[in-house]
This record gives sequence, C-alpha cells and structure tokens, in this order.
Amino acid sequence: MTDFESLIRLLAGSGVEFILVGGAAATAHGSARLTQDLDILYRRSPENMVRLAACLATHHPYLRDAPTGLPFRLDAETIQRGLNFTLMTDLGALDLFGEITGGGRYEDLLNDTIQLELFGVTCRCLGLNRLIEVKRAAGRPRDLEAIAELEALREERERTSR
Amino acid sequence: MAAKRAGRAETDQVIEAYKRHIDRSLLRENLRLTVEQRFKNLQRLQLFASELRKSLRRGG
Repeated sequence: MTDFESLIRLLAGSGVEFILVGGAAATAHGSARLTQDLDILYRRSPENMVRLAACLATHHPYLRDAPTGLPFRLDAETIQRGLNFTLMTDLGALDLFGEITGGGRYEDLLNDTIQLELFGVTCRCLGLNRLIEVKRAAGRPRDLEAIAELEALREERERTSR
Repeated sequence: MAAKRAGRAETDQVIEAYKRHIDRSLLRENLRLTVEQRFKNLQRLQLFASELRKSLRRGG
C-alpha cells in the first residue's frame, strides 16, 4: 500500500521540487482508476537531489524487484549518476523520474503544471492536457484505457464549464 | 509519415472504443470532490484491493 498523503507531505514539506505525473496526477484530475505508486518528475538540480535523497533516507528506499541483499543507497550521488528510479519505501511505492518520455525534464513541463494545495502542503501537478499528450507520446498499449478516461474527464469538465 | 498517421488513427480508434465503456457517472462524482478527497478515495480503493487480494490468497 502506498501512503500518498505521507509521501506528498514528505516531499513537498522538505522543499523537493517535483511534479506529480502518471496515475497520481490522473487521480488529482478525477480519474477513478486504481494506481499503486506515486510517480514524480523531480528537478535535477544538485540542491534538489540532495533534498530528495535526504528526505527519503529515513524511509529506507530500495529498488523494487532488486535481488535481496543488493547493495543500494539512495544518496544525491546515486540520483546524479542515474535518472529514473522505481523505489519501495516505508511509505510505499515511489517512482522518481528525471525525465519522462514525450515530456522531457522538470523544466520542460513546469509551464504545463497546476498548483495544488493538498494535505497541508503545496505541490505541482501536470495539467490534464499535457498529461494526455505525454501518455499518448509514450505510446504504451497499457495506457490507452487510461488516456480514454482522461479524455472523457476533459470532455466532462468542458461540458460543465459551458 | 503516412505510417505514423495511420498509427495515430488506429490509436484514436482504440481510445474512442474504450471511451464508450467508461462510466461517466463516476467521473462526474469525482469532479465534484476536492483533490484531497480524490486521493482519500484512492487510498480506500487501495485498501479494498489489498484486502481482496489477501482474501483470495487465503481462499485459494
């Protein structure tokens, strides 16, 4: 189980610059689909990577599906050397993306985000239109049903705003 | 280019087919909620799915 509330509070409360993407962003926009992990696009500045590693340190981040006993430590240097990490933490599954297919990096998507006041913190979430574009660009068959729902959400929002 | 367009058209058709089966009443309900409430519902759904899986494992 992923504790979305605690993870979002932890990241935003620690000053990590990130954008909610993937299924959690879809939830924020009204999706009814079940998502099991929190996907974030983090800013790859040295200071932000330090903040990200520091706030996760006490929650025992480990690579999901990695063989037991594999030496792994998520520190700023590890994040710097890598890009995307699929993690399990004490608070649940967390996917860190330095870049996403069809969207690019944090700075590339920042203008397409909305600001959310959530669980007592402020965080950024990818806007609905861009989320649909990114999912379409990723071209994964398993995303097609999710895209259909996101487009239906957009239609519903447009219908009610008329 | 033509292949890309054909691929896009095919994708659109699949998405439109999925769209016909979406329960829009659920989406309308969700749109009436705050973002925080939507996440709380997701947590409840996660819990339910987890309990269901445990129960199936016990029963199987």
